[in-house]
Amino acid sequence: MNSFADRFATTGTAAELRRIKEYVADDEDVSDSMWGSEAGFGTMAHGAPDFMVPSVPDPAAFLRLHTDDHADPSCRIKIKHGTTTLAFRYKGGVIVAVDSRATAGSYVASGTVKKVIEINPYLLGTMAGGAADCQYWETYLGMQCRLHELRNHERISVAAASKYLSNLVYSYKGMGLSMGTMICGWDKTGPAIFYVDSDGTRLKGDLFSVGSGSTFAYGVLDQGYHWDLTDEEAQELGRRSIYAAGHRDAFSGNTINLYHVKEQGWQFIGNYDVSEMHYNGPTGTQGYGYSVRVEGRSSANPPV
Amino acid sequence: MDHFPTNWGRPRNELYDQYNTFPLHQRPTNHTDTFTDGVQRTQQPIVTGTSVLAIQYKDGVMMAADNLASYGSLARFRDITRLHAVGTSTIVGASGDMSDFQYLQRVLDEIVTDEFTAGDGNSLGPAEVHEFLARRMYARRSKMNPLWNALLVGGIQNGKRFLAFVDLLGTTYSASSLATGYGAHIALPILRQDVDPNPDAITEEAAREILRKCMRVLYYRDARSLDKYQIATVTSAGVSISEAQKLDTNWDFAEKIRGYGSQTQ
Amino acid sequence: MPDGSYERPQQRQFNPYSENGGTILAIAGADFSVIAGDTRQSEGYSIQTRYAPKVFRLTERAVLAVNGFAADGNMFVKKVKQRLEWYRHAHAKDMPLRAIARLIQTMLYAQRFFPYYVYNILGGIEEDGTGAVYSFDPVGSYEREACRAAGAAQSLVQPFLDNQIYFKNQTPAPGASHPTHLPLPDVLSIVIDSFTSATERHIEVGDGLEIYVVLAKGRSTQELASIGGLQELSTRAEGDRMFVIRRDLKKD
Repeated sequence: MNSFADRFATTGTAAELRRIKEYVADDEDVSDSMWGSEAGFGTMAHGAPDFMVPSVPDPAAFLRLHTDDHADPSCRIKIKHGTTTLAFRYKGGVIVAVDSRATAGSYVASGTVKKVIEINPYLLGTMAGGAADCQYWETYLGMQCRLHELRNHERISVAAASKYLSNLVYSYKGMGLSMGTMICGWDKTGPAIFYVDSDGTRLKGDLFSVGSGSTFAYGVLDQGYHWDLTDEEAQELGRRSIYAAGHRDAFSGNTINLYHVKEQGWQFIGNYDVSEMHYNGPTGTQGYGYSVRVEGRSSANPPV
Repeated sequence: MDHFPTNWGRPRNELYDQYNTFPLHQRPTNHTDTFTDGVQRTQQPIVTGTSVLAIQYKDGVMMAADNLASYGSLARFRDITRLHAVGTSTIVGASGDMSDFQYLQRVLDEIVTDEFTAGDGNSLGPAEVHEFLARRMYARRSKMNPLWNALLVGGIQNGKRFLAFVDLLGTTYSASSLATGYGAHIALPILRQDVDPNPDAITEEAAREILRKCMRVLYYRDARSLDKYQIATVTSAGVSISEAQKLDTNWDFAEKIRGYGSQTQ
Repeated sequence: MPDGSYERPQQRQFNPYSENGGTILAIAGADFSVIAGDTRQSEGYSIQTRYAPKVFRLTERAVLAVNGFAADGNMFVKKVKQRLEWYRHAHAKDMPLRAIARLIQTMLYAQRFFPYYVYNILGGIEEDGTGAVYSFDPVGSYEREACRAAGAAQSLVQPFLDNQIYFKNQTPAPGASHPTHLPLPDVLSIVIDSFTSATERHIEVGDGLEIYVVLAKGRSTQELASIGGLQELSTRAEGDRMFVIRRDLKKD
């Protein structure tokens, strides 16, 4: 009744409630799923998990202030970012190729990142943008895809899976998520690739490259791409394209991971060191680098 | 004051004054009353206390703080106690915003009462009080509504000395000698030199003398300090907070200072 | 709210983060894992304390090192330990290491829009008895690795580890090859050298060093016998064994 007196009273139920609220460090709900038989992993099955948001008028600006190392290199919370990824569709399935460098500001935070996320045996997702955003939401997508299988007794289509992801990230639009991903797989319609990013864009297509090195990759990819590639040619094109990005883009490099999605599911083809590709190439006989093309040449003996 | 050379020459961040001396002198604005805008305004400490010092010694823990609560550069309240006993074996000393400290004093008294009424034979020791304060300070910073204080918690628990720090961000640490605010720069090196080699060798009188020395150094150099201070001791016998004491200071050297004001020679 | 208080966003200029220096690192061996951190806690140019642990025992076979903003780090460790205890009550066993890694990812990502300013490195023994190291970024992206350094001196220490653990930029003698895993004494020397060197060249590193060593079940403890400052943490000798080595670093 007298709410003002209640607010400052030290006794009574209102004070008790206030005190209990103050004791808990934050407003995190301690649900049964955090322990019990689900022991913390059950939360994600019940829809998107809750996130704590800072109580400021513009949470996205707050996040940018503290984590956007591009606008402000001295910002302290440096989130890992991934860079060059590509995928293309051809008669033999889908080729997915990525580099393995993660940068935090100008620091190479890791050279061994798995940027291809194995959602399930028939679906692959790629990682460009925020490493955690891609890892977390594509893992989450994998759980939803499994639930779809259990409910419908058939595998989820690539279109449905990618739409699930794009709807999900769209609901967080403007909050500061950063991901550019390709959902690749083989379903009833054959090989399929969907580009999904954190703006909510979702595009079906034959050929995509995402990340800071994508322009370099596109350059090689476009000149070598056609539908009737053999498996070997297709794999070589993917590898060669990522090498080009690793060679010319400072934020890409270290190693190449190559995957091939076929009707029976995806297959890991191999991991290739970018420097090794430059000097010796995948077979160890001829490097991708230009030095082999000009070796022993001079003005008296020019390359033909 | 900013000790990072890389920040020198950049616009100062006066919204957060580490040494509790805000508001600094600034041009008058249209808003003449800090309180009219209520929560719209940037939160900042208003009435502030400066450094708190504390050391461990042979019989327990000793803490010192002066009696001043400043309003910006105005020495507003000259008889404020910034040391607060919690239960029978803990002392809390506060620098920073005095209204937030008074709120914490009320909360601490409440939990001591609650613990007493439970009648289960348990009482709160310094470790529990420190943990409680750390959680509360961290919870408030996470709500972007901090309690603008740096606190020292000292005491004796099961015959062992306890001394720890917690601030508005929820940062905690402990050591055998601690200081908040300006004292962390000016007094702490002296405290560390005297105490850290062997706290067990320091008698109560020696401890008192060390703190008195540091309070004097602070009074000479900290513009927000006062020559009236209190010392609290926690030993196995319990907590005691002294009456306010006057520092004996010597300003004779001021006569010889040349180059300021009217003294041109 | 029913208690008369009101909850709505309030505009304030307040930086809820700080940075408390220090460095952590972890190295995985074939059947052991080493997780280490210095014990200095600082803010700006002030040393707050010379002993504030950054490395914490989670279970019999898992150790977590945290670095960045100390208040966030301590709170995060507290919450992880709580969740592991709940798991123990539900399942009557410790959570496996790879599950702890995933738990840490979800816990970090739950704070995606108000991140913990904490770099985590998790080390220990997997269910198959191999040594493992997992490293995380502040919002939960993670990766299993053989070694990782994080914190103030990561850019000093990580290149050294790349060279000594991964043999980066080293060419083996003709006909020879680099070992995939180093023996425990070599790893301990590398850890100690990393920290003494980081102490020399970084002002936020020093004072003390805590090295946690987790040995897989049945592994000999022979190699640790001659190490000074060793203390055993494991409660039973028949399972995985955990030790901590405490050393001094320069305090200037």
